[in-house]
Amino acid sequence: MNGILAFIQLALTSTLRMSLPIILAAVGSAFSMRVGVVAFGCEGMMLMGAFCGVLGALQTGSNIIGVLYAIAGGTLISLLHAFLHVKHKVDGTLSGVCINLLGLSLTELFVKVIWDSNQYSPAITPFAVFSLNGMEKIPFIGPILASQYVFFYITILVVIVSHIFMYRTKYGLRMRMVGDNPMAAYSLGINTVAYKYFGVGMCGALSGLAGAYLSMAMLSCFQTNITSGRGYIAMVACNLSRSTPLGAAVSGIFFGFFNALQTMFQSVDFPSQILMAMPYVFTLLASLVHIKWLRGPTAVGKHYDDESN
Amino acid sequence: MNIIEMRGITKSFGSTQALKQVDLELHEGEVLSLLGENGAGKTTLMRVLYGMYTPDEGTMMFNETPIEFHKPIDAIRQGICMVHQHFMLVPFFSVTENVIAGEEPYRGIFVDRQAAKKRVKELIDQYHFELNPDALVESLSVGERQRVEILKALYRNAKILILDEPSAVLTPSEVENLFASIRILKKNGTSIVIITHKLYETLTIADRIAVLRDGEMINRNVDPKTADVVSLSEMMVGRSIQLDEKQPAKKVGEPFFCVDNLNVVEDGVVKLKDVSFKIRRGEIYGIAGVEGNGQTQLLDAVTGTIAPDSMRLTVGGKEITGDAHDFIQNKIGHVPADRMTQGLVLEMSVQDNLILGYHDFKEFSDKGFLKRTYIRDYAKANVDRFQVKTASIDTPVGKLSGGNQQKVVMARVLSRDLDVLVVAHPTRGVDIGASEYLHQQILNFRDQGKAVLLISADLDEVCTLSDRLAVIYGGKLVAECRPEDYTKVQLGLLMTGSPLEAVRKEDKHG
Repeated sequence: MNGILAFIQLALTSTLRMSLPIILAAVGSAFSMRVGVVAFGCEGMMLMGAFCGVLGALQTGSNIIGVLYAIAGGTLISLLHAFLHVKHKVDGTLSGVCINLLGLSLTELFVKVIWDSNQYSPAITPFAVFSLNGMEKIPFIGPILASQYVFFYITILVVIVSHIFMYRTKYGLRMRMVGDNPMAAYSLGINTVAYKYFGVGMCGALSGLAGAYLSMAMLSCFQTNITSGRGYIAMVACNLSRSTPLGAAVSGIFFGFFNALQTMFQSVDFPSQILMAMPYVFTLLASLVHIKWLRGPTAVGKHYDDESN
Repeated sequence: MNIIEMRGITKSFGSTQALKQVDLELHEGEVLSLLGENGAGKTTLMRVLYGMYTPDEGTMMFNETPIEFHKPIDAIRQGICMVHQHFMLVPFFSVTENVIAGEEPYRGIFVDRQAAKKRVKELIDQYHFELNPDALVESLSVGERQRVEILKALYRNAKILILDEPSAVLTPSEVENLFASIRILKKNGTSIVIITHKLYETLTIADRIAVLRDGEMINRNVDPKTADVVSLSEMMVGRSIQLDEKQPAKKVGEPFFCVDNLNVVEDGVVKLKDVSFKIRRGEIYGIAGVEGNGQTQLLDAVTGTIAPDSMRLTVGGKEITGDAHDFIQNKIGHVPADRMTQGLVLEMSVQDNLILGYHDFKEFSDKGFLKRTYIRDYAKANVDRFQVKTASIDTPVGKLSGGNQQKVVMARVLSRDLDVLVVAHPTRGVDIGASEYLHQQILNFRDQGKAVLLISADLDEVCTLSDRLAVIYGGKLVAECRPEDYTKVQLGLLMTGSPLEAVRKEDKHG
């Protein structure tokens, strides 16, 4: 009995740890989608974040400043995406792909130039698990919470604040309007261009934060392609949730769960690839289901001055 | 007093001059009708007033002080609001959300939803708009959506309201409601500009009429009391035109194009239910209805574009089955509902568009290769015959005006040897001159003893052209009659689902 309980605890701990980067980037994607910009650059933004975080920590010796570096790095590359798509009307998917490829190759280049390595940065002192006094004594969930990093609480905060922002504030209302009918928003005097930059910038900042979590908490260094597709998964998770922050959290946990299972089954003689493929199979099935009250933005890729509108 | 004065407004887009030295003024509390054909520059002029376009030349005065608008918000702040032809609404937002967006009542950083709803409800009651502030816009009818647009303006305390083609999408009874609203607004001191090309409506509602043609102001002080339809249309077109008159069928033959038991279900929703009708030789059969009541599916089914769940279609006794290609082979011509997306490939040249769908006929291709020389001659002949105004037959068809694009679509089918013509919205977005021409082509085709199925959202068009018509509502044909059997208002009621008996009763009272 204790064995089963311990296994469940382990599975949940691992699930939460694995879900965090996906949730953060998926909430970021939701911001991007809600202003009508396809969130196809998270992978590159996460990579930049992961790299800049380690760089900042090594340069300043402070992990907190490292995280700020990561957020700045993710935001910076996301603004390039926004610049291409919003200012020059490059197709969002195309400029997103460019951001992903650029993120991958730039970080590889920097690792080579700065640290003369083909794959790894020097090690940093990673974030320690964050636990309050006596927290681990709470039955069952105590040990699970006690083995999470500070990012866990930041993520909860990000999800809740994002939800309130999008659905309770006037800026959120305007932002959603930009993603649903930019022409209408413009005709009411809403600065659609600024909102698009803001949404994409948020996507960059949150993806950068997600990247920092990967390199500074889960690992203790930057490794080329450290994200290994998590940015794409975040995009799928965001889509599955129809670009809602709360939904992004749920679908992020869903993907995190399979990620965790896969890790746990690696030691057992069972093809973990099957588990790895499960979330995608479910995603395909889920995308067939039409949920009436849950709907994503309808004007992704449209600009306020589109003739066709 | 002139609340607005526009002087010498000039605006070019690339090489085309949309407005040439246009003057216009708006008096306080009047209803001004801005009349002109499509492409005359009405919308452009109003978008200049609304700050969406910056004019190349010219000045504007607001309340007798010079003013410049660079963005719509500049105009909105002065109380100038515009209801666009294509509604600027978010379907998945509620009525309240759509109305308040951009100027939300707030408490701290949060939207004050209670206050918002209360304010919107007050406005709805004040103007008798009969809307639920919590309803999602996607669940509203077109007329209701328009009222939401007007609410947006009222919420912003509009002193000047610009309505761009407000009646284009409404049924006759909805137009009556709209006019009633306009009269209330006027009584409350709002100045209103209506952009339109509909002459009768202009004469009904306007205090003053200004006529634009090809970007020039022809006359900005027409008094509707002394003007008539003929003089107005001449000002609009620049020459005398024949307004559409009823041209009844001369020789109606035996039933020729017969549709029996047509049913279509899409995604579990019944789109067409037991639709049957017969069109006789030498007859135009019209389908009137509010869009979205099954017209699309009916059109697709009888042209082979979709496979209906059941249908027996015979032309002259011969059953037709198969896909669109087979229907074309069987001499059924198709003028689709939307020339931009279905009728034409805009990037392709005029000559290529003229043979689309017929390109694999022996006449045009040989062993898979197009007969270019022949196609060129064929295209030239048809461009002449159908009076298509184009720089050359190599011009991309997207560069042509709406009327000329529609002529290309019409030329493509009418230049073939057809038995049946299925035509949808033949004159949507087409100017009067070209409409007149296109209508005559359809009538001529009928008079050769052919059958025509006409689907149009324009009730005037259906009534004028059709020899018999049916009203489609909720996927069923609810009344089959001669156009003169019912008044326009009665037809409008039928189109919105009133039962036949109720509509007949209406007649007695009216």
